Amino acid sequence: MTPESKARAFDYVVREVAPVAEGIHRMVMGVPAELAGALAPGMFVNVEVPHNPAHLTRVPLSFASADAAAGELELVFAAVGDATRRLAALRPGEGATVLGPLGNGWWLPEGAGAGSRVVVVAGGVGLPPVVAAARMARSAGCAVDAVVGAQSASRLWRGGVDELERLGCSVTVTTDDGTCGLRGFTTDALLGLMGEHAYAACLTCGPNVMMAGVARIAREGGTFCEASLERMMTCGFGACSTCNVALARGGYASCCMDGPVFDAEEVAW
Amino acid sequence: MSSVSMAVDLGGIHMENPVCTASGTFGNGWQFEGFYDVSELGAITCKGVSAEPWEGNPAPRMAELPSAVMNSVGLQNPGVRAFVRDYGDYLAGLSARGCKVICQVAGHSVEEYVRALELFEELAPFAAGFELNISCPNIAKGGSAMGSTPAGAAEVTRACRPHTSRPLLVKLAPTNVGEIARAVEAEGADALTLINTIPGMAIDVRTRRSRVSRPTAGVSGPAIHAIAVRMVWEAARAVSIPINGVGGVTSGEDAAEFILAGATAVSVGTANLYDPMAAPRVLRELEQWAEGQGVTDINELIGAFEC
Repeated sequence: MTPESKARAFDYVVREVAPVAEGIHRMVMGVPAELAGALAPGMFVNVEVPHNPAHLTRVPLSFASADAAAGELELVFAAVGDATRRLAALRPGEGATVLGPLGNGWWLPEGAGAGSRVVVVAGGVGLPPVVAAARMARSAGCAVDAVVGAQSASRLWRGGVDELERLGCSVTVTTDDGTCGLRGFTTDALLGLMGEHAYAACLTCGPNVMMAGVARIAREGGTFCEASLERMMTCGFGACSTCNVALARGGYASCCMDGPVFDAEEVAW
Repeated sequence: MSSVSMAVDLGGIHMENPVCTASGTFGNGWQFEGFYDVSELGAITCKGVSAEPWEGNPAPRMAELPSAVMNSVGLQNPGVRAFVRDYGDYLAGLSARGCKVICQVAGHSVEEYVRALELFEELAPFAAGFELNISCPNIAKGGSAMGSTPAGAAEVTRACRPHTSRPLLVKLAPTNVGEIARAVEAEGADALTLINTIPGMAIDVRTRRSRVSRPTAGVSGPAIHAIAVRMVWEAARAVSIPINGVGGVTSGEDAAEFILAGATAVSVGTANLYDPMAAPRVLRELEQWAEGQGVTDINELIGAFEC
């Protein structure tokens, strides 16, 4: 049976955009309720960025929140290249097209329901989809411990930490240089938490090396782990085969069609 | 409705209009049905498929370049049997809706091309024709390693020709196109598709490593369009079989250049990936251009370049 594509194209208009940390920007874009309502936590959109026709590809971004009633998407992203810098420089009222809903989101495994405890681990700009994951887990009645890592205090999206606390998560912040929270890595904090609690699931997004460490710690602790992966991606809807993810069993999966959230055990880290 | 007849015949593939999609940039069609009715197009060319599954190349497979992208996918595919099992129903339906389906054939050796074509011939009644990919730059054996010389291109075409009575297209690498076009025409090819991606390099100077997983990869997009038009023109002067022009088409004007240079059909490639509505827009713009040229049939404009 041929699968059915859920990808559509929509117009977006920038409502707000502002830096929220060093090199990190938060954008609220107005989108049709049809898109916002179709986006489950952990899915992503592929954003056209105007003002440089020589830059062809879109920017694939996961989101911190999607509000169908308000017709809004909240994106938090690092300005690391030409396209993300231009995205950050857009003014309210400007816009272009956005493709979505794309990919598959987070899921709560059996046993991760009301009364259970879940841990979420974010590194750098992996935080937005982790906020969405924590919101989903809280809605399901889980207690949520959150570990949020950044290189330094200046590169930490504090709004994400605030939102996790507002959701009722127990938040541990780590920074590489100790300028905020614990000095060290998220994996150090996770090891400590794993010693104190039994978790029904661990959900993580961040740098690959961090997620590999999180996956290893989860496996050693017997905890189911999901990771949201990032790859160089062209179309985002399964047409080009460029965003391949190496699998532990051999061969490749497609990050945009099979992910971006994967069972960490399936990934060849 | 257009006042211009847009139907064309690409070597026995009767297309309602000249706009097609290039292999590897269009999945197998179904991915685009949410964006528009794919049956508006004259034809689609499916992703290259080999007799047995191929894993393709490691990540990263894509790098962004000015007005271009570079890919090193390496023809990842599930093999003909799984391809037909998973997409055959959709492709048969698309064909019934009036859009021709061209299946692309990949191999590492002459024998593998023949084997894949035999399987397609047996299992894919929905295919209006087959395209031999002897020009992929991203595999170590087969692809452009075989198709970059007249003798190699002729050998694959000669071996495959007896295994199907359906139209056989050969997709050429961007090198020596006139001579290679003549060689495959002489072996019975019904049409040519050109060009495939142009081999290039992109080096991350901080790490001194390639920006993709192999040293070289295929460059595509608007940056290569002028080169592709020139090569279509050269091929059209060298052979009498029809040509499917590919390379950096983003507008009806780009497509019209291919038609004027001698192409019968035009494929939209890389643009599908960043502007998924590109192909039907190209078709509308191409119709408008033909109307503006004062013809009643697009065929009057094929090769109508004046120099």
